[in-house]
Formats: sequence, C-alpha cells, structure tokens
Amino acid sequence: MIFTDIGMDTASLAGPLEGKLAAVRRAGFSQVMIAAGDVVGHSGGVAAGVRCVRDSGLAVTGVEALRDFEGCNGRLREYKVDVAKSMLEICGELGARLLVVEAATSVHVDVKADALVRDLRMLAVLAIPLGIRIAFKGVSRSRTVRNFVAASELLYRANCSNLGLALDAFDVLAARIPLDDLDAIDPEQVFLVQLSDYMWNEMLTPEEQAATASHFRVFPGEGAHSNGLAAFVSKLDSIGYRGNFSFDVYNDDFQQMPPDTVVQRARRAAEWLVETVLRRALPVPNMERLRRTAGD
Amino acid sequence: MTNTLDGESISEPLNPLGIDGIEFIEFATSKPQALGSVLETMGFRPIARHRSREVELYRQGTMNIIVNSQAADIPRTVQPVERPVLSAFAIRVRDADAAFNRALDLGAWAIPARARAMELNIPAIHGVGESLIYFVDRYNDFSIYDIDFRAIPTVEPKPPAIGGLHFFGIVQYIGADRTADWVEFYSQVFGFTPLPDRVRFGIMPNGLLLQSPCKGFFLQLIEPEDTARFAYSDEHLQRIGLGTPDVMVAVSALEKRGVEFLQSQKVHTSERGALTKPCLGNVMFELVHDVPGSYAPQA
Repeated sequence: MIFTDIGMDTASLAGPLEGKLAAVRRAGFSQVMIAAGDVVGHSGGVAAGVRCVRDSGLAVTGVEALRDFEGCNGRLREYKVDVAKSMLEICGELGARLLVVEAATSVHVDVKADALVRDLRMLAVLAIPLGIRIAFKGVSRSRTVRNFVAASELLYRANCSNLGLALDAFDVLAARIPLDDLDAIDPEQVFLVQLSDYMWNEMLTPEEQAATASHFRVFPGEGAHSNGLAAFVSKLDSIGYRGNFSFDVYNDDFQQMPPDTVVQRARRAAEWLVETVLRRALPVPNMERLRRTAGD
Repeated sequence: MTNTLDGESISEPLNPLGIDGIEFIEFATSKPQALGSVLETMGFRPIARHRSREVELYRQGTMNIIVNSQAADIPRTVQPVERPVLSAFAIRVRDADAAFNRALDLGAWAIPARARAMELNIPAIHGVGESLIYFVDRYNDFSIYDIDFRAIPTVEPKPPAIGGLHFFGIVQYIGADRTADWVEFYSQVFGFTPLPDRVRFGIMPNGLLLQSPCKGFFLQLIEPEDTARFAYSDEHLQRIGLGTPDVMVAVSALEKRGVEFLQSQKVHTSERGALTKPCLGNVMFELVHDVPGSYAPQA
C-alpha cells in the first residue's frame, strides 16, 4: 500500500517520545509530525529528544505549533518573536522543513490586516536561512483568521515564497465550509493538509467546537463525517494537491491507550484513505522495491 | 481586486539602508598562513592584525579581505578548519545601527555583540548557512580597522589593485527550489533586486543574479543541478567575484604571479571572464569583465 505521504502526529499518542516513534514505525508509517513539546519535554533533555527523532528513521513532516504569533505589539511581540525563534531552531535541529503556525486566538492581538501581514512576513524571513517553510492555519475560534479562505487572502498579501497554508479537515467540516472554496486555492500554496474526524453530528456552540477540536477528534473513517472527509480529500486531489497528509487527532481517550493500539487505528485510517477514497492503484508486484532502489 | 499592487511592497525607498558596496569579505580557516599566501598571489597584501582576536586584514585597491582563525564562540557560525570557508561579508551602509535594527524588525537573526573594551561593536546578522552579514558605516576618512586593528609596520597600507580588480560579487550555493526564498530574504532585508535571466556577467552563467540597491555589487544564487538536486546540499557562500575592466590584462598579470586559471572546454578564460583553479580545498576567484557603475538596468 502506498501511503508515504500520510503521516502520524506525536500529539495523538501517549507516553515517552521513543515509544511513540517506535509505534509509528511499527505500524508502517514513514513520516511523523512532531509536537514541539515532545522534544523539549524529553526526559534526557532537548538534545536527547532531537537525537531520538533523528535516529528513528522517520521523516519529519513538520513541527507544531506556533500559536498566537501574529498581531502582537510591544513587549508581547518581542516575547512572541523569541518563542518563534526557539521553535524554528528546534525545527532546524530536527531537520524539519515545516513549522505549523495557528492563527491567533488571544484577545490581546491586533486584528488589523497590516499588522498580521507584517508579522507573517517577519516569520517567513526568520525561517528562510534555516530552510523552513511556514504552514499557516486558520482556526475557527481565532480572532485574526478563521478559515483557509481568510488565511489564503492574508498570505496573498504577505506574498512570501516560504509562506503557505495548512488546511485542517476538522475546521472545514465543523464550519461546513463549501468545498468549492478550494477551487480558489493554488495547490502549490498548500504546504500541509491535516486530517481528522469527530463523533458528533452537530456542534451547537463555539465552546463545544473548541472542546471537540482539542479533546475528541478521531481518525478519518472512524467518525460521523466520513463522507465529508472523503469529499474533502478527493477535492484536494482533483485541484492538484500532491503534498503531505498528517493525522492531527487530539483525543483524550487515546492518551490513555497504548500507542500501538492507537497507531493501528491510524493505519486503518490510512488504508481507508488510500484504498477507498483516493483509490490509488496498487503497485505491480516488485514495483515498490524497484521504486525504492531508484531512490524514490 | 481593486488594487493590483497589494501583493507587492513598493512603498520602500529603493535603497532603504543607504547601501554603498562591500566593506570586507571574510574567510575562516585554522591555517591562516596557507590562505595568506594564496591571497598574496592574487595580489592582496597583509596590512594589519586585530588587537584581541586571531584575525588579519589583507588589502588590494578598494578590497579588504579578513582572515579569521579565531575559534567560533557563537552557534551557527563557521568554526575555522583547515579548508578555508567564506564566512562573512560586510555591507557598507549609511547608519549601521539603523540598518541592523531594521533588519531585525524584518526577521533577520542577530549575532550577540562580542566586542571587547575599546573595540567596535560591529552589528551582524546570520546569512546563508553558517555565514554572517555585517553592517559597517565607518568607511570613509576613518575606518573600522583604525580602531580594532594594529597596522603591520613598514607595510604599504594601500597597495594598488592588479588590473583594476574590485569586488564584483559573491556566489552563493543554495538548496534545490530555494531561489525564491533567498530572493525574498535579500530583497526584503537589503533591497536587492533580481535581474532578468538575459543579464549575465562573466563565464559562469548558472543561477539567478541579484543586484545591490547601490548597483555596484551582485549576489549569484545557484541551485544544485540534475541529480544533485535530490541529495542533501548545504547552503554556503562559494566564491568571490572580482571585477576588472580588462580580463585578459588582469589574467596575464595574475598568471605571472603564479595564479592558475581553469582551461576546460566548458570553463576557460575569455574577455568576459575567468575562473581560478581551486586551492586549499575550494578557494577560487572568478574574474568578471566589469567597469564599475556600468550596469544600471532599465526600470
């Protein structure tokens, strides 16, 4: 099965980093999104956390997540720039080429577009010498950018080659954003697509949506919105998106289950996506091995 | 769209920092004498030594080259090893402090100040790979070398340039698909402008050229070719370009001093330019036909 472009997320799994990475590998995944906290919180220190990721043999999809960055002023801005630099340095040490940045939800940020553009451009320039791309993501409860349409407009204004979008399927499903909105997006501008589902048919309040987003997500194919998710992924495929998918499943129950059990669910989700949704052709026998030898 | 200029920043003045050329280019090496003799065959002369650090100044005409052998004390900077590496360049600006602070505000990474008592604090930012970019605003009557360096006695402080040699540019090797990022960096922070593909200098045509806002200095960004695109490639400053009004005269003067030039089918000396054979690993100089101030692109 070909799912080298689908990765796990360390935030979905419980336990120490070594155990998470080993479970991800055992389930057959070849890449993993690293939650920065998993590296800096490593019991042996940051350097040991970095070594653990580098020795895992897994490719790093990216590092997540810088939050409440854009729109800060004065001392808060200086502080946030330091936070951003620290995260970029961790990306550099991990060999990660992508940093996920979530739109600000803080009530202390400036929401004027000029300030947001200024800060995103600054972040992009900070990331250039380290060879890192910034994947900016609208958040439904954000005060600055609530969805990918607004994020895309802001990025158009910021106009930096290493600034792009992260699309989160959860936000698209929860906000019932029409999929045709994706037609306006340049697939080259999408740096990452995060996939997850949830169990409720409806979320009545913004509070419920926020709680679901942080605690009750499930893997694609497991929730109440398989059809919507399948349509979303097919739409991305049809507009020409060829980048990575990452399962960003934040679920409190999964934090109490063995990582191997959780990654098996992720594996089933990857199979569902590849075989049922994307209907990727199965490789001809021996093709996979040949492709690998050719350095693919 | 009502305003088609939304996606571009054109409100900045063309030379926001008052850039006025290159003050110095720096090599780092743990074998400064070996590099020194290469520089001397190229016509540079040792002029002065730093007061507190293992650093020497070489000069020829308007060009200053710094040879740094001091162990690096800052992360992500070049640690001197035997093979010399281009480790920094310094840009002349109207006001170094203002230029530095503007660069930081736009997203450059600062280098912590490390001047000792009575020394100049020359502000710097991280550039490509492990290299640094300094900002210098004292370069007319009174220079940075007057303060931080001791002159080597009996040496002519202003040795003339061979064949009118002057700094023309720096070649920077970058990763695959990274041209747009570096164009962004140099145009945002310094006001460099990418030149159209048809504009070429010298005999090494690859990559993209960026021109300084003072029009007098070029950066050439080169991505890996062919299959090398898929291998890991570190990004670094690769070689110095020297301008001369007459390449053949300069080449013949340098050959008499013992400098060897590449003469292959693909790369050979011509009136457009020349490339020295690499020494000490990867030290090479590219000669480019250039009369200072002669290229000003159409707006």
